[in-house]
Amino acid sequence: MKAENDNRFHLEQLPVAKPLSLVPLASTFRIERLDGPVQDCNRLLDLGVTPGEDVVVTHTAPLGDPLVIRIRGASLALRKREAAWIWVV
Amino acid sequence: MSCHPSDTEPSSLSPAAVKEQSVALVGMPNAGKTTLMNALTGGNFKTANYPGVTVSLLRGRTRPEFGASRNLIDLPGVHSVISPSPEEELAVQVIEGKHAKVKPDAFVLVVDATQLERHLKFAGLVARQKKPTVVALTMMDLLPRTRIVIDPARLAETLGVPVIPVDPRTGKGMEDLIGELDLVTQGASLPYTSNALAELPREPVAAFMQVRNLLKQSGSVMHSNEADSVTAKIDGIVLHKYLGFPVFFLVLVSLFAAIFWAAQPFMDAVDAGFGFVGDLLTSVAPNSVIVRFLAEGVIGGVGVVAVFFPQIMILFFLMTLLEDSGYLARGATLVDRPLSYLGLHGRSFVPMLSGFACAIPAVFAARSIPARRERLLTIWILPLMSCSARLPVYSLLLAALLPAAALKAGLSLATIYISSLLVGALVAGLAARVFLKYRTPSLLAMELPAYRVPRMKPILKMTWARGSSYLQRAAVPIMIVSAVLWLVSNFGTTADRIIAPTPKDQSFAAALGHQMEPAMHPMGVDWRVGVGLISAFAAREVFVSSMAIVFHVESADEGTQQEGLLQQMRTATFPGTSQLIFTPSSIVGLIVFFFFSLQCFSTVAVVRKEMNSWKLAGLQLLFYTGLGYALSVITVQSLRAFGIA
Repeated sequence: MKAENDNRFHLEQLPVAKPLSLVPLASTFRIERLDGPVQDCNRLLDLGVTPGEDVVVTHTAPLGDPLVIRIRGASLALRKREAAWIWVV
Repeated sequence: MSCHPSDTEPSSLSPAAVKEQSVALVGMPNAGKTTLMNALTGGNFKTANYPGVTVSLLRGRTRPEFGASRNLIDLPGVHSVISPSPEEELAVQVIEGKHAKVKPDAFVLVVDATQLERHLKFAGLVARQKKPTVVALTMMDLLPRTRIVIDPARLAETLGVPVIPVDPRTGKGMEDLIGELDLVTQGASLPYTSNALAELPREPVAAFMQVRNLLKQSGSVMHSNEADSVTAKIDGIVLHKYLGFPVFFLVLVSLFAAIFWAAQPFMDAVDAGFGFVGDLLTSVAPNSVIVRFLAEGVIGGVGVVAVFFPQIMILFFLMTLLEDSGYLARGATLVDRPLSYLGLHGRSFVPMLSGFACAIPAVFAARSIPARRERLLTIWILPLMSCSARLPVYSLLLAALLPAAALKAGLSLATIYISSLLVGALVAGLAARVFLKYRTPSLLAMELPAYRVPRMKPILKMTWARGSSYLQRAAVPIMIVSAVLWLVSNFGTTADRIIAPTPKDQSFAAALGHQMEPAMHPMGVDWRVGVGLISAFAAREVFVSSMAIVFHVESADEGTQQEGLLQQMRTATFPGTSQLIFTPSSIVGLIVFFFFSLQCFSTVAVVRKEMNSWKLAGLQLLFYTGLGYALSVITVQSLRAFGIA
């Protein structure tokens, strides 16, 4: 479904949050919330993966997992299941 | 708070100056702590173990030109205080002053200039301790690769702690750092209005916001979330969909080539050296039992381990090199998917790789794995990795099995190596699911540091520090086991008298071997091989030399010793019969035994210490040795059932 073929009228376009595991490479998104196991999310927060931050998925490992993300000037390798806890807009 | 300029400190002997101060280097991983340690101590540091736990740290003294000598400790880097790895936990304990033995008087907080936000957020933990602290700002030379701008003086003012830009690689800023350390430890009042760093909230989201505000106030420009150009380029290749694994295998093959081929001449030299010393000692008094004990039991025993020293040094060197360059974290990322499927962790690949040289450094390397369950599983399968002590055993057995077929023997050896990896994977996968109720892996969230050209001097120092500490740790237990083995195989009772030296078949070892005879028969071998197997618990390759002893191979020359042993093995029969001992089935059975069996007391001792559990280490010993015995018997008996003698 390409955007340019979509010529219907939209009343409003609210950004819908999606998990970081599903976003395209190399585009910047903003973290909306974390939604996963408490302890793991707390560690992610502590590492700087906090709501409001910009995040980019820079690489996918050759086997499709993990992903490499860029946040606060650091590269982090995250498994897809972990990236799925990070909801971005 | 007062704002006195603090450069007029009295130079009298304050109490702090009388007692040697201890200063801990703290920070996040990859901040450049070890390089700074190297610069401050002039490379004069060594690894030491923390009392109580076996996380090793670097200790050293500041160089004389830096004034009063200080005791420096390099603490392990901390990513996060939440669900920490053992290394992280220990560093946090020391920082918070909760460690019973290690209580530093001051901190040098090492902060990576390219990662100010994350590193300063961590700095809050250190600043809260209200101990004298100086921030060492590293990686300033990387800033031109990025769009970050920092004014250290304004940063210090805003944070309320001294900030010294340093470049430990060139030695720049070292004197300023020491000077500032002198000031803060002498209790000089600092020219800052408040310690903003100590007032950072503990809650991470609020703390990060506060850090960002402080950085804004300090005039630092932080708007770059892109990797520096060099790192981005290299990652484009090493994490590439098609190039990633070829590069990875190339790195591994080079590593193995270096470990096995480059180390060979050094290993031969060490071997010859120990042989020479032993012979020299024996020639002093060839008939003295004590001299023979020292030459064969003690020096020979240490020699057996020391032979592997060059290999282990090369392993440590290349591992440190790969770690420093930043590649190791990428390698762990590449293999995380298969490993996490097996219940292991991306980081497990480093210990597994080391395990092909020696299980002992491999067990230590498992410390960087955060979750206990994954660390335990990694350590559990390490004895399966085909360590280099098995190599002499396999080459002897394969030479006996496939005489004059070097190519076939080589291929068999390669098969054994690859199988050890596959069997390790199988054991891990099964153990994870059956015993550890493994469902979901623990958090990966692994930082991939920026690539840096590694500096040789710190790496060589580090290699030496790690390698010599390994040798010291391993030498004593192996010397004891080897001395005891020599005694039991050279002393024995004849007509109620303990005699020495005794004919080999009347020694205590032989007596023990005869006890073992019923257990050896199903493996298709006799008690003499049993003695060889028992002695191999000192180190697997001891099997070869004990076989030479029990089969009475009389040859001083190393080169012909193996040939003489092979000759003996070809003709050896069960006592009193004409039935050959070393048939294809029994040789394959022995290879199977060595493949599985945990014949290494040093590994058992190290695992015991590392996991702090006799139960676990004992279980591992029984599991693998029992498995090795059972599979060996099954192999021999089924081969014979199929008509292969």
